[in-house]
Amino acid sequence: MNPAPPGTREPAPATLAHWWGRLRDIQVSGTATVAMLVVVIAVNVALQPNFFDQYALTSNFATFVPLVAIAVGQTIVVLSGGIDLSLGAQVTLASVVTVQLTDGELGNLPLALTAGLGVGVACGLFNGLVVVVARLQPIVATFATSFVFSGLALVVLPRPGGTMPSEFTSGYRDSVLGVPVALLAILAIAAGWLLLRRHRVTRHIYAVGGNAEAAFASLVPVARTRITAYVIAGMFASVSAFAILANTGAGDPFIGNELTLTSVAAVVIGGTALRGGRGGAIGSILGAIILALVSNIVFFADVPSTYRQLANGLVVILALALAGIPALQKRRSA
Amino acid sequence: MALLEMNGVRKRFGGVLALDDASLSAAGGEVHALLGPNGSGKSTLNKTLTGVVVPDRASITIDGSPVAIHGPRDAHAHGVAAVYQQLSVVDDLTVTQNVVLGLEPTRRLGLLDRRAARTVAAEVLTRFSPAFAGSVPYDAAVGALSPGEQQIVEICKALARRPRILVLDEATASLHKEQVHVLFEVVRELRDSGVLVVFTSHRMDEVFALCDQATVLRNGRTVGTIALADATEDQLVHMMVGDVERREEARRSHASDRTVLQVRGLTTQRLRDVSFSVAQGEVLGLGGLQGQGQSDLLLAMFGAAKIHAGEVLYDGVPLPLTSPVKAARAGVALVPGDRGRQGMFAVRPIQENLSIASMHRRATARLALSQRAERRAARGIVERLNIVIGGLADRISTLSGGNQQKVVIGKWLLNEPRVVLLDDPTKGIDITAKEEVYAIIRELADSGAAVVFNSSDNRELLEMSDRVLVLFEGGVVDELTDAQVTEEDLVASALRLEAGETL
Repeated sequence: MNPAPPGTREPAPATLAHWWGRLRDIQVSGTATVAMLVVVIAVNVALQPNFFDQYALTSNFATFVPLVAIAVGQTIVVLSGGIDLSLGAQVTLASVVTVQLTDGELGNLPLALTAGLGVGVACGLFNGLVVVVARLQPIVATFATSFVFSGLALVVLPRPGGTMPSEFTSGYRDSVLGVPVALLAILAIAAGWLLLRRHRVTRHIYAVGGNAEAAFASLVPVARTRITAYVIAGMFASVSAFAILANTGAGDPFIGNELTLTSVAAVVIGGTALRGGRGGAIGSILGAIILALVSNIVFFADVPSTYRQLANGLVVILALALAGIPALQKRRSA
Repeated sequence: MALLEMNGVRKRFGGVLALDDASLSAAGGEVHALLGPNGSGKSTLNKTLTGVVVPDRASITIDGSPVAIHGPRDAHAHGVAAVYQQLSVVDDLTVTQNVVLGLEPTRRLGLLDRRAARTVAAEVLTRFSPAFAGSVPYDAAVGALSPGEQQIVEICKALARRPRILVLDEATASLHKEQVHVLFEVVRELRDSGVLVVFTSHRMDEVFALCDQATVLRNGRTVGTIALADATEDQLVHMMVGDVERREEARRSHASDRTVLQVRGLTTQRLRDVSFSVAQGEVLGLGGLQGQGQSDLLLAMFGAAKIHAGEVLYDGVPLPLTSPVKAARAGVALVPGDRGRQGMFAVRPIQENLSIASMHRRATARLALSQRAERRAARGIVERLNIVIGGLADRISTLSGGNQQKVVIGKWLLNEPRVVLLDDPTKGIDITAKEEVYAIIRELADSGAAVVFNSSDNRELLEMSDRVLVLFEGGVVDELTDAQVTEEDLVASALRLEAGETL
């Protein structure tokens, strides 16, 4: 933890900006993340005795992948010092474009997936340019672009429909040597992140998010790095879209929107500070799994469906609060 | 032949002309000092060379060929590397990662080559291992290091770029003696291998020990270049200050003999054991080079810094300095140095800006405010301080700098302060407004307040103050009380050039 330089100490205490600043500083420790995962799994096993059965595992992992992918994308933007509130809308847009181009034919799939990936890249590039060139606050800019992307999604596919080829959906629920394909997908996403982390661009993303002025003075191409972060996030949004399509087999022009804020929650639970420059995507992957299991728990705990969302929200708040406690204590002792 | 030629460098920041026809000419294989008093433009000139500041006009030639420097990358392309006063390290990255930042060695597809990075870092850092108590913490996060160690990392980052021109801007400020010693050895080696080192430091002994030539700046202009071997301190001080007529009008002191304010052993992260006292009606000036703790002292006295030791007494009673609110209630007022950020609410009406600090005094039952009372109070101040405004409902940002500053001072007058702290209150305001601010300060003192006044303008400091404390690296090093103190005395004291001091 770096001490605030004396003299620049803010004299005004309880302003909104002050609390936002504090919130942004919260960094969850890895131990806290893992502890939460253990607790959530334990509760899940208690409520769902067949939790470790092949079928249950496969279907559980199948629902994790979309959130895992988008959480990794969100992590990269957050590390660069930004935030992307349009990621869910990007998932929606990429998924409807892909399902429309596939049109139920396996032969169309390569082209459709390429186009879906292109959508993510284009959305990320658009976000990056709006944030960097127009110099808008990321939180506002991406909130605005999210409406553009969801609006486009509605134009492409006005109501739920379209089908994916059955090979695509059944392959997703299959397993290789007893390992569910969806779990392999999660491992592949993690491997992708580990490779990315060894790349120069990710080092620059950390540097820009940690201290943009210092990075600029140190010859880091700050603007290009920021834009790249949004583009990479867009690619992960596309991956998330593919997983959703594989899981549901059909298109839905509202499917991804809920994912946005859950991805931010996954990033925080996973130990990446919203301030930027500190953390990593492995934690976010665990955070995403924790959040997915929490909705599982709410489902299996027989919460009436009208209360499900409320219960979900309360558990997420509890998790965030618990996760924040060690960080606050560290601050107090500092 | 000169390796570096900078001519006609001009840079305006808003209303302030930081550089006006500055120049610098220096050869390879020399250590060239850049000297000048507060606000003379040293840092701006350095940053022009390193591409952090883009000048309004400049002609720069390196090795005889004209170059254009639009950013740090251009500067790097021409072999310029810099160590800044404000560090440019990223706290969350490791020492190695910081040293190679921006120029990371990579393998295929842009993947990082950790081993090569470590080799590059080791090449420069090994030299400084004594400065890290023997072993270099290559994989430690820079944020976890001491300020001196961070400074060494910053220096190594510049060295790893293998510069032909190395700019050291206050690079020694947070270093220990042994660390400075190592740095000087390295600088001399670089010089001997033909590198030009441009060196700026507030420690004059370092300048004399290390530098061959010195170029002196004053008010954004280059005064001249002098070989340090044949220069005397008096010559340097004279170059920095220029020919100034002695002040004719002696200060009219209304200070009483009654000491009201006592600061005893005040110590914070930036202050070392500061003690002094101020009499009722006295104006105490804070002088010295900028950033030697003057602002920190004022902030500490306003309860806005963590006080490690010491206390401030008013009439023998300790002031509550745990928060600005408590300090203000106890009668302390601070006119902060950063007016835009700390002194006012730019987009709020003048009315609110004037009322804010004293609303509790006029509130009925501490809760309800009367618009009429607020307006009457604000109007009273506007008239008293002769603030030129359109209407009380206008945003304060519509006013000129001088009138904004009068509003900032005025809001405290409504609180009837016993202790008034002013941090460079005339920075960036025009001459007429300055005179009016001076008049307000005198009036405050005459009405019995104890005034502590920091200024980066030596002349105004001497004109306004009954006494001047000179600060250096967080401590009080001198007190100038003689009514006939001159600007030269003040500059010499700020640079710690004491008679008989060996350099």
